[in-house]
Amino acid sequence: MAENTRSLRRRLDRLFIPLTVGPTVIWIAGIILYPTLQLLWSSLFYTNPITQQKQFVGLDNFASLLFKHGHWFGSVNPDIVRFTKHTVIYVGFSVTISFLLGLGIAMLLNKDLKGRGWIRTAVIVPWILPYVMSGLMWRWMFQTQYGAINGVLVGGGVISKQIPFLSDGTLAMIALIIADVWVFTPFIIIILLAGLQNVPEQLYDAAEVDGASRWSRFRNVTYPFLKPSILVALTIRIIFDIRALDLVWVMTHGGPGKSTEVWASWLYRTAMVFGDTGQGAALGVVMLATTFAIVAVLYQVFGGTPYET
Amino acid sequence: MSTKTDTMSRLRRGLNLNAEDEWPSVIRERLVAYGLLGLYVVVVWFPIYYILITSLKAPSETLSFPITFYPHHPTVSNYVEIFQNRPFGTYTLNSLIVAGTTTIICVTLGTLSGYTFSRYDFLGNKALLLSIIAARMIPPIALIVPFFEIMSHPPLIGGLTGTLYDTKIALILTYTFFNLPFAVWIMKNYFDGVPNSLDEQAQVDGCSTWEGFFKIILPVAKPGIAATAILAFIFSWNEFVFALVLTSSNVAQTLPIGVSLFVADDFIDWAHLAAGGMIAALPGILFGLFFQRYIVSGLTQGAVKE
Repeated sequence: MAENTRSLRRRLDRLFIPLTVGPTVIWIAGIILYPTLQLLWSSLFYTNPITQQKQFVGLDNFASLLFKHGHWFGSVNPDIVRFTKHTVIYVGFSVTISFLLGLGIAMLLNKDLKGRGWIRTAVIVPWILPYVMSGLMWRWMFQTQYGAINGVLVGGGVISKQIPFLSDGTLAMIALIIADVWVFTPFIIIILLAGLQNVPEQLYDAAEVDGASRWSRFRNVTYPFLKPSILVALTIRIIFDIRALDLVWVMTHGGPGKSTEVWASWLYRTAMVFGDTGQGAALGVVMLATTFAIVAVLYQVFGGTPYET
Repeated sequence: MSTKTDTMSRLRRGLNLNAEDEWPSVIRERLVAYGLLGLYVVVVWFPIYYILITSLKAPSETLSFPITFYPHHPTVSNYVEIFQNRPFGTYTLNSLIVAGTTTIICVTLGTLSGYTFSRYDFLGNKALLLSIIAARMIPPIALIVPFFEIMSHPPLIGGLTGTLYDTKIALILTYTFFNLPFAVWIMKNYFDGVPNSLDEQAQVDGCSTWEGFFKIILPVAKPGIAATAILAFIFSWNEFVFALVLTSSNVAQTLPIGVSLFVADDFIDWAHLAAGGMIAALPGILFGLFFQRYIVSGLTQGAVKE
């Protein structure tokens, strides 16, 4: 009996690795291989939205995504040009502004101020709220008649007439970027603050003794230590923003007149609203490739591979 | 004179100044820092305040002019009404079930495999870790089509279960897919920071590998587990895109969907929408205020240590 339990224990011990890692590996293999292969597969078919009949069309979905009327190397599809431009503007401005703002706030929070913990808590909260709620909240803030922004501006005498923010293409894009910066700056603050705390204190003291200017202190002391954190913050921010549907969908719905339609909302509209899953899958493939390309470029610029510190 | 130095020393203490700090430049720097941070906090919290007071106003007051910056007749009727007239009770329950189950699966699998990744050198562990990183880079939205197709016509078990579309199981499976790589990563990094001597001590004491893991290692790993659990819970509680793609009725619809449905009405009822939004935001605000340390450590463990 005792012999039996001992051998069972030994056998269980030998199975420790497969039993602990196995379920996770199977699960994640499922996420990488199965849905991704299914995505590539679906992008080669035309699915009739009504009968759900699939018809093999080869690369036609990609042709009609990239070119007008689906003629290879004819004139480029104006939609993809327009929505790519919106995506670049949205992601570019949001990431740049939130990065600079986050860096500034992180530097301030890195001083040993009293009540720093409270301030840190206060600035992190926006990122933890559901994006849907944040999007609707900003939609309400920018509301023409009863929104707080117009209320403050008109009440403060800054403007005399209310501005219809969300019914003008450019203003709606600006409103969207403001909301995005509001939501994601805390993330940058968290990551960069952790990076700043890696900078050895005595290096600052040394720089101070040498009478280094503020800029040179940042350039030569802070930046080299912060580089890995900057890379992570920017990578995650950019790939998150490309795929973020929540804010756009509830705040502007891609409107007015498609002027805030970005890749994510275009994909959702194509696949789920119009039911053209083949076209949606093709756009998904393009997005997947773009994301990996961007990550590769960022790692080239900031050096290092993703799995080295 | 004496009172002056007194005030001075109090000021210095209050601003965390050392005696040797130069007085005017440092104090100016501190005050500027406080001023800027204060301004930032006010700007950041103003929208939250505005949605909160909107949820406490009678619907008529949200549409009064000029707008009011505090509720003149505060009422909780919006909160009561969304639970009575809309299925907010069901949405909340669905959210709890989906986020709770996802969290349990992610923490269990993430802790087990994170430990093994951290401690053992086994065949293909590098390749597996790399694929886990790759999995984290995949933009979920790109996969809405395959997920929709898979859940509508599940393979293998499809014959038994029929479709998984519009079930909580579909959401739990999907959220686990997207959160597990992150969970494994946080836990692996956490265990990397736990000294090997603990495991060795357990071996010496005659524990089997499993016993050592459960009796010695797990209790030490609590902070890492807490961080993983909180992040997995928040991510699944807040998730919107897949809930939108994979559900169509309140059998499985979660709070974010419930809140977004207000917009489908011809006329947006902001007072009730704000109340729904506050309900959806509640766990986030509470976690943010009370468990901020874990959120920060989890994020930095999971993101920076690559």
